[in-house]
Amino acid sequence: MDKFSFKDVLVTFAGLFITTLVAWVLITSTGNNPSEVAKYLYEGGFKGTRNIANSLYQATPLILTATATLISFRVGMFNIGINGSMYVGALYAGWAGYRFTNLGHFSHVTLCILIGMTVGALWMLLPALLRVYAGVSEIISTIILNFVAVLFVSYMANGPFRADPIAPATARILETAELKQIFPNSQFNTGFFIAVIVAILAHFVLNKTTFGYELRSGGDGLVGVYPSRFSSYLGIPSDRSAIIGMLISGALGGLAGAIEVLGAVRYFFQELEFNQGFDGILIGILGKLEPIGAIIASLFYGAIKNGGFFVDYKTDVAREIIIVLISILIFFVSAQKIVKGLEKYPIVKKLDSFFSRKKM
Amino acid sequence: MEWIEIFDISLLRSLLRSTAPIAIVGMAAAICSAAGVLNIGLEGKMLNAAFAGVAASYYTESMWAGLTAGVIAGIMTAVLFGLLSFTLGADEVLAGLAINIFSLAGTTYLMRTLWGQAGFFSDPKIVGVEPIHFTFLEGTFLEPFVSGFTYSVYLMFFIAVGLHILYYRTRLGTAIRATGENPEAAEDAGINTVRIKWLVTVFSGLLAGISGLFLSLENLTMFTEGMSAGKGYIGLVASSFGNATPLGTFGASAFFGLGDAIGIRLQGVYELDSRLILMIPYALTVVVLILIGIRQRLKVRPVAIPES
Repeated sequence: MDKFSFKDVLVTFAGLFITTLVAWVLITSTGNNPSEVAKYLYEGGFKGTRNIANSLYQATPLILTATATLISFRVGMFNIGINGSMYVGALYAGWAGYRFTNLGHFSHVTLCILIGMTVGALWMLLPALLRVYAGVSEIISTIILNFVAVLFVSYMANGPFRADPIAPATARILETAELKQIFPNSQFNTGFFIAVIVAILAHFVLNKTTFGYELRSGGDGLVGVYPSRFSSYLGIPSDRSAIIGMLISGALGGLAGAIEVLGAVRYFFQELEFNQGFDGILIGILGKLEPIGAIIASLFYGAIKNGGFFVDYKTDVAREIIIVLISILIFFVSAQKIVKGLEKYPIVKKLDSFFSRKKM
Repeated sequence: MEWIEIFDISLLRSLLRSTAPIAIVGMAAAICSAAGVLNIGLEGKMLNAAFAGVAASYYTESMWAGLTAGVIAGIMTAVLFGLLSFTLGADEVLAGLAINIFSLAGTTYLMRTLWGQAGFFSDPKIVGVEPIHFTFLEGTFLEPFVSGFTYSVYLMFFIAVGLHILYYRTRLGTAIRATGENPEAAEDAGINTVRIKWLVTVFSGLLAGISGLFLSLENLTMFTEGMSAGKGYIGLVASSFGNATPLGTFGASAFFGLGDAIGIRLQGVYELDSRLILMIPYALTVVVLILIGIRQRLKVRPVAIPES
């Protein structure tokens, strides 16, 4: 896949413009005032310390799930099951949060996170092995495992891990396992920094190391899909890359879930609902499968998501409109022929070569 | 009640009802993959059809309006998929995924915004589909087996047989299979593969629409958030297990239907956690995926090893 180029930016902004028009029509046709919605969207996303902190909090798991998505896509595997990894990672990180006592703050948090990541990675083991050794589509198996994960964690919170006699919930995690919340009245926590560091690390590993090159040679982008001839010409075992890529992807999903439990909700309960795994797919694509792009797109998405909650609260417009609009935007961004079609205009070509000199 | 007693006529009836939505959407998946189209977006098509059916039925209080709107919604979603993947060059998997996410959020948004309902929407004004009773069979031994289902249960047999004939007895069927097996050779033989892909996509939208309507207007008369609950994906697995043939897919769907039906009945026998019962179709799907894997290992060299 190409690096960020001017024409991609152009398509993204044209898509944003058309998406805004669609939003206007959608909101007006259901009897609401678009400019009012826009105002609340802005206020909820960006106005005041608390809203900004909440927007960053919303972005935290998205950065990780988007990075998880792009890593799997770039090894040529379509991992759609990051949401499932997130659920099981959250459940077991929460379990480790109350199960292990007499630990220091740092060691306890680290242990919980490692357990969450391990469980998240193991969740992806079956689809990876099925794909590599038996040719079973990882798309379907990971999607189905999402459904299994939701029911499994719900069963665990109701049965074996249940601590509360009234509500189906696990025990609260110990204070030593908490990721600290920094601002009052906001669930923003230090997990945000972990997420950003992990994404930047992913950027370096993927783009600057031999290991990352080996991983990418399996697919690299939306065009090449595992198993690629290219990697076998290079003598790189693409089987191993595909499996490792899937496991890393699952581990990052588990990390996203662990941070949600350790940093924000502090215990696991049955109604806890994640959809950041699916949002992460959209964001990963919006960010053109680059970790830095994923960070930027996640910050944007986190802000409008938080704004969406405010809109939902203040008006009759349901917050799902945000996801509707983002998926419409994805329709534009994924339409390769629109991007390619722009190349015939000389001005686009010129600007393209001008911007591509600066490397991301 | 002993566990063996669950194998009775009502299990068979419940099996047919559970099979219908999976078999119909499964055959949509089968005809798509026969033509080489990986149609992940079936789930979204079902959901949009289920929603449109309920919405039209609610506003017009007419069953036919509901059914028509549902089928049109399924086909429209299919056209969107076709536009994205065939006309605008988007990756099929991405287009399908984006459509599924779009449909889930879109139907939830409309339900919450139009009717102010979260979770599910049910209203006496929604006219559902009544079961068909064959009066001439009344009192005969056949009645408990074949009478009193809604139309989709009968329709799925016709679709399976009809598609089988289309596949193996018509020129169009050959063209569809050729497009999937070897697109270049098909083009050389004068087949317009893009047109074939469009055709199967639109047809799959029609079938997915019928399947979605089964959920919201036949089985129940209500709409719930994400009510397709992975049936579109299970249909894809059924078609893969059935080697993308209509009858094979039908058989695989019946296997899923049986698991579903047994689960529902077992719940009455043992005090099982409802979550474990709900997990049965998905657990079965994972089992079937593993079986597909074993079969592929035994049959040929796995796809996973690139040719050198």
